[in-house]
Amino acid sequence: MMRASPFSYFAPITIGEVAKILAGEGPRALLLAGGTDLIPNMKRRTQTPAVLVSLRRVAELRGLANGRIGSAMTLSSIAESPHLSPHRALIRAAAQVATPHIRNAATLGGNLCLDTRCNYYNQNYEWRQAIDFCMKRASDGGGHPVRNEDGVCWVAPGSPRCWAVSSSDTAPALIALGATVTLVSIAGRRELPLNDLYCDDGIAYLTKPSDELLTEVVLPDATGWRSTYWKLRRREAFDFPVLSVAAAVKLASDGTVLDARLVLGAVASHPLLIAEAQELVGMPLSDDAIERLAAAAARFAKPLDNTDFALGWRKRVARAYVTGALRELRGDDPATLGLLARRATALRPLS
Amino acid sequence: MKCVGKNVLRAEGEDKVTGRAKYIDDLSFPGMIYGHTVRSSVARGRILSVARDPAFDWGGFTLVDHRAIPPGGRNIVAMIVEDQPFLAVDEVRHREEPILLIAHADPERLAEAVAHIEVHYAPEPAVLDLEHATTVLKELTISKGDLEQGFAQADRVVEGSYFTGAQEQLYIEPNGVIAVPGVDGKSITVYGSMQCPYYVQRALRLLLGLDETQVRVVQTTTGGGFGGKEEYPSILAGHAALLACAAGRPVKMVYDRLEDLVATTKRHPARIRHRTGVQRDGTLVAMEIEVDLDGGAYVTLSPVVLSRASIHATGPYRAPHVRVRGRVLQTNTPPTGAFRGFGAPQSQFGIELHMDRIAEELGIDPVALRQKNLYASGDVTATGQRLDGSVSAHEVLERALQRHVKKKRPKKKDGLLRGTGVATFFHGSGFTGGGEVKLASRAGIELTPRNVRLLVGSTEIGQGTRTMHAQIVADTLAIPYEWVETADPDTARVPDSGPTVASRTCMVVGRILQRAALDLQQALGPYRTPDEFRRRSRKLLAKRPALQFIAQYDRPGDIRWDDATYQGDAYGAYAWGCNIADVEVDPITYQARCTRLTAVIDIGKAIHPLLACGQIEGGSLQAVGWALYEEVVMRDGRMANGQLTNYIIPTTLDTPEILVELVENPYPHGPFGAKGVGECPVDGPAAAILNAIRQATGVRLNAIPATPEKIMQAMDAR
Ligand SMILES: Cc1cc2nc3c(=O)[nH]c(=O)nc-3n(C[C@H](O)[C@H](O)[C@H](O)COP(=O)(O)OP(=O)(O)OC[C@H]3O[C@@H](n4cnc5c(N)ncnc54)[C@H](O)[C@@H]3O)c2cc1C
Ligand code: SF4
Repeated sequence: MMRASPFSYFAPITIGEVAKILAGEGPRALLLAGGTDLIPNMKRRTQTPAVLVSLRRVAELRGLANGRIGSAMTLSSIAESPHLSPHRALIRAAAQVATPHIRNAATLGGNLCLDTRCNYYNQNYEWRQAIDFCMKRASDGGGHPVRNEDGVCWVAPGSPRCWAVSSSDTAPALIALGATVTLVSIAGRRELPLNDLYCDDGIAYLTKPSDELLTEVVLPDATGWRSTYWKLRRREAFDFPVLSVAAAVKLASDGTVLDARLVLGAVASHPLLIAEAQELVGMPLSDDAIERLAAAAARFAKPLDNTDFALGWRKRVARAYVTGALRELRGDDPATLGLLARRATALRPLS
Repeated sequence: MKCVGKNVLRAEGEDKVTGRAKYIDDLSFPGMIYGHTVRSSVARGRILSVARDPAFDWGGFTLVDHRAIPPGGRNIVAMIVEDQPFLAVDEVRHREEPILLIAHADPERLAEAVAHIEVHYAPEPAVLDLEHATTVLKELTISKGDLEQGFAQADRVVEGSYFTGAQEQLYIEPNGVIAVPGVDGKSITVYGSMQCPYYVQRALRLLLGLDETQVRVVQTTTGGGFGGKEEYPSILAGHAALLACAAGRPVKMVYDRLEDLVATTKRHPARIRHRTGVQRDGTLVAMEIEVDLDGGAYVTLSPVVLSRASIHATGPYRAPHVRVRGRVLQTNTPPTGAFRGFGAPQSQFGIELHMDRIAEELGIDPVALRQKNLYASGDVTATGQRLDGSVSAHEVLERALQRHVKKKRPKKKDGLLRGTGVATFFHGSGFTGGGEVKLASRAGIELTPRNVRLLVGSTEIGQGTRTMHAQIVADTLAIPYEWVETADPDTARVPDSGPTVASRTCMVVGRILQRAALDLQQALGPYRTPDEFRRRSRKLLAKRPALQFIAQYDRPGDIRWDDATYQGDAYGAYAWGCNIADVEVDPITYQARCTRLTAVIDIGKAIHPLLACGQIEGGSLQAVGWALYEEVVMRDGRMANGQLTNYIIPTTLDTPEILVELVENPYPHGPFGAKGVGECPVDGPAAAILNAIRQATGVRLNAIPATPEKIMQAMDAR
């Protein structure tokens, strides 16, 4: 029997009203966008907000122009948007979330603020109760999970922190694209590089306070950039990533790397920006350079078994994926890059 | 007007697609309360105490343990051996074993109450997998010829061991029942999602000490079974009935997916060992086979799963000297149980991988090796059954080879590793050996002023029972299909036509209905048109209000079986099949995908070709899942991936192109020649896929599921 606990519901029309309600209700309130993550979580009682603030009627959040994407845009509309085709990593990431039905409801804002995941946490109430609640726990009547001082981490007993995994597909892609986000509260608005929105902690995974709402994502000019997103999952649909690689490079006309970003998803509590990507700058994307970066990135990929049971496999694929993604950006024939690249090619938006 | 062989509208289809069909969770009764099961949290141990928190308000809760079983009733789940209790008394033998039942009018309060119940155990050492299991629950041997002599004739001896994992049936609708106590306090009615109402009735009678007039069981619209609702509903119905009797109110118990996954039955994990003597030209001369199944903590249906597994362990191959030793071993895990194929998919997975190994060692083409040894009419099986008529092993292989025309490989090298694999198999229809005689199933027809109504305990669980039975009766009576309706399976209304299992519902029960139809025809006297049929039946009905024609199973004369020696005619008829699978393996992710699967199966006669093909496509896909994706991860005796995020089945995008071809070599004792179709499609695909992976990668996997991590390990070890 899975039912959400009772909550009250607001459906404001403007961003200002949303901010006001959030300020008034405090951490009891949560924003409801597509609800594809929040509603199942409420039924399992891993998120138990006393107040839901729906974004459905806030038209201001649904714009898409000049590299600015409203946070309530659905993932399907993003995946199909011709305006976004220069930002290939985003399109590919959005197109590979869950299933078509879910993408039709799911929003970009919800995907970026997606709760971190763990096999010991994404379970129903009774299951978690039976093994004793772990360190991450739904707060009573509050939206965001809190730290349970009596609980241990079942993944890494003895560990002082929670290792729940960031499983958003679009977050790594947008960080690789250099996106910033706009946050609004009654105190005003501010812009933040997307990477700074995330915290390396499975419980407090966002740096923003709960009274702030994410209104839009701003993409820098993509001229000269190439980007891609490779997602590892066990099936061709439905599944959260068990590893993902987002890569973007800016190339000079002679192939010299002018700038580069590499982000790994689903291997830590936040999207993992690999600083070593900067070492590519100033040289061509040679096989050697690619291999060096892939090896370095794989060292950072330390998946735990709390979302998928296999570790060695994902670590191995991490290296191969970084290599594949960078070779794709170099312009290698996708047909030589295995099943994943073929799938990615099939996802290329119609132009 | 004939409808057999035509794709008529599904009898219950409209109700299902319009949402009118009522599943168990759609039903409600006045005063109904909700039940819940408190289960063991250790794999094995003695129960020291069950304590309720005195500080908690227990008002409004009904609690029941084994002591609530009424005098005259027994705490035993009626199956083959009397070893499994409905509720643990002083020991538990597996995780999730039911100990206590609790009910309340508000289902929300159940979890809260459970948190205030404390069970203390003295844990005992537990055996958690087949590898460590030593206690034998059932053993059997099938022999033919003289193994020593066989090996003496062999040029070569080939050995191999093969392993298959547990698998969840994953019906869309989880297990659920509602028990309604009678006003007299001495009777009970149970409604529920189930395959076998009469099994449930028998279990309730034993539990409550009631007779068949006091226990009524009604099947509600059922969202799939695949064997998973063969034996388990007996336990669930017993639990709901105990609560209902204690509370004096109707009790609903519907499992959520987690409970259904961790607590109910799965396919038996298996270890199959082969030692085979072959001659240089590929002739099999000696087959020594060991079949070990993990039965879990209690015997349940394992002995019969074992017998089907063992009889099918040779595959459809002839050998003069054979010994099959089968064992069910006990582990402290939830009992495994019936699942589409019933042991035959496991044992035929073994032989089909082994055949490819033999071919490789001899340097013979795997298809040629099969052609050399496949059964033909006149051959004698390991149980001494002489096969004659409707033996299509060669034909299905030939037709599969023709159908599975090689696709052109992409010109560009794309780095993917590709391979093609084959498997041939057979599947006995109906209960094994003397089973059908013991069942003595009955089914019948009731004449009503408007039409003809079938009275049959066989259930519609999505496979098309009602449609197919109505077709058989309509054509036998030469009346329109639309004139035939089916009574709901209700033990108070329909006779016991035996369980809806074992690919028997068409071949065996369909035949009984056909005979009932012939009895009806006889009573009516000759008629030439459907209208005349109607006139005559009205005339007959005018004399008597309700007219029923009940027929009983009639053993085809020439079948014999000896249970003591495992010799004789194991099955009246066999379905024959061949799969060819194309597989791609990605050398970067180590993921294998089945891209194309051909399934050619002889089912005697397709009463409803579309439904028959649907059975074959669905069964094949279930086997693809078993081969590549579905892994029950056990930790400390409990399923660790008890949700569909981690226990994954193929989605549409993971589904290969499935090419189905039906072969119709009739079985004279089946209705219109029909044999069984339901289980057979699961027997071959897993082996065909693994044989294809072998060809694609050069590595030999001997265990399923062939997950990327297993493929990676095997490729690393190369
Ligand atoms: C079967 C299944 C498969 C899935 N597979 C994937 C997958 O492959 N990849 C993946 O990334 N996700 C997956 N998801 C998760 C989820 O569907 C997506 O992440 C989706 O994008 C969430 O968006 P939403 O609009 O539905 O968010 P909601 O569920 O409405 O909200 C999610 C969280 O974000 C907060 N939030 C929403 N909008 C804002 C805003 N504007 N400002 C601040 N906070 C906000 C909410 O308060 C909530 O905490 C899957 C879900 C399911 C059920
Ligand atoms: S990582 Fe540890 S603390 Fe965090 S949710 Fe999982 S088990 Fe709980």
